[in-house]
Amino acid sequence: MTPIPTLTTPRLTLRAPEARDVPPFTAFYASDRARFVGGPLDAEGAWRMLAMEIGHWQIRGYGRWMVEERESGATAGMVGLFCPEGWPEPEIGWDLFEGFEGRGYATEAGRAAREYAYDVLGWDTAVSLVKPANTASAAVCRRLGATLDGTFAHQRHGEMQVWRHPAPEEVSDGGMEAYA
Amino acid sequence: MTVALADTPRLETERLILRAPGARDTETACAFLTSERARYLGGPYSPEQAWRVFGQAVGHWVLRGYGQFVLEDKASGALIGSVGPWYPHGWAERELGWSLWHASAEGKGYAREAAERLRRHAYDDLGWTTAVSYIDAANAPSRALAERLGCVIDAQAALPVGEGWDDDPAEVLVYRHPAPEAVAA
Repeated sequence: MTPIPTLTTPRLTLRAPEARDVPPFTAFYASDRARFVGGPLDAEGAWRMLAMEIGHWQIRGYGRWMVEERESGATAGMVGLFCPEGWPEPEIGWDLFEGFEGRGYATEAGRAAREYAYDVLGWDTAVSLVKPANTASAAVCRRLGATLDGTFAHQRHGEMQVWRHPAPEEVSDGGMEAYA
Repeated sequence: MTVALADTPRLETERLILRAPGARDTETACAFLTSERARYLGGPYSPEQAWRVFGQAVGHWVLRGYGQFVLEDKASGALIGSVGPWYPHGWAERELGWSLWHASAEGKGYAREAAERLRRHAYDDLGWTTAVSYIDAANAPSRALAERLGCVIDAQAALPVGEGWDDDPAEVLVYRHPAPEAVAA
């Protein structure tokens, strides 16, 4: 049995989600910030969503990490690799909690997740799905070098933009060792 | 690379193995959740929702430290259902639940065999002092099992909130299980 790995970037730790993450995750999903990612949800729905994120790791062998600020220990968001049933292909996704936006954390954590996907899991491509009105998330895609590659209509979530990330050989920002 | 639940119990009865769910159970579990047999558990679900509901059952183990078991028929190795302690956010109390995934598994006492073992696990290993089962009033086979397990309707008990019950909470019956000392006797 392999536990969920921990990744480290200059400012962030990406670690396994667990029970203590219920309050911040619930607060995020109660807020308007969750409107592009299946929210807002009530507390019951948020708890089940977090349980699903954890189950995703067991079912797929990869998933999304809780993102912690190394300096403060505060939980800043959830970022990682996501491909539930009904997704067009595996994606790199990021949610930042209230108060942690505007610092480049989504880009920093998204890049670490992408490197994990390419270097450890051996993915040869990756996308990010973004709701058309979510301009902040689209900006993160651009910062990561992704380009718009069509749209995808999800049964419940509606239309989403598909942003295609640079292929492994095109990513020039270093491998996992850059964050060792 | 494999990520799997660690240190989960494995229980046995005469005919069944009760073990934590994992990736290899996804297809069978989702076939059940998308079927009409899941109608008293909030289903039938669409395929993409079924996957998430199964994921929740796996993640419940991490968030609570206990969770649902899948039922493996010792003779055939087939998955025939699930039972489990279930306590998502919004549940008024900790619940013991059960489901058989195929009509062919009915009528053989499997659910009772698994539920009795499950209740011993909840009382002896998890230290529960009481337990309920939330059952839709229209679910006659499940109500009959609850009664065979010695449960009685507790009309004073608070009702669960959340997926599966929100449509019509008036249809929920709360069956109270016999206390640990009554079961042991």
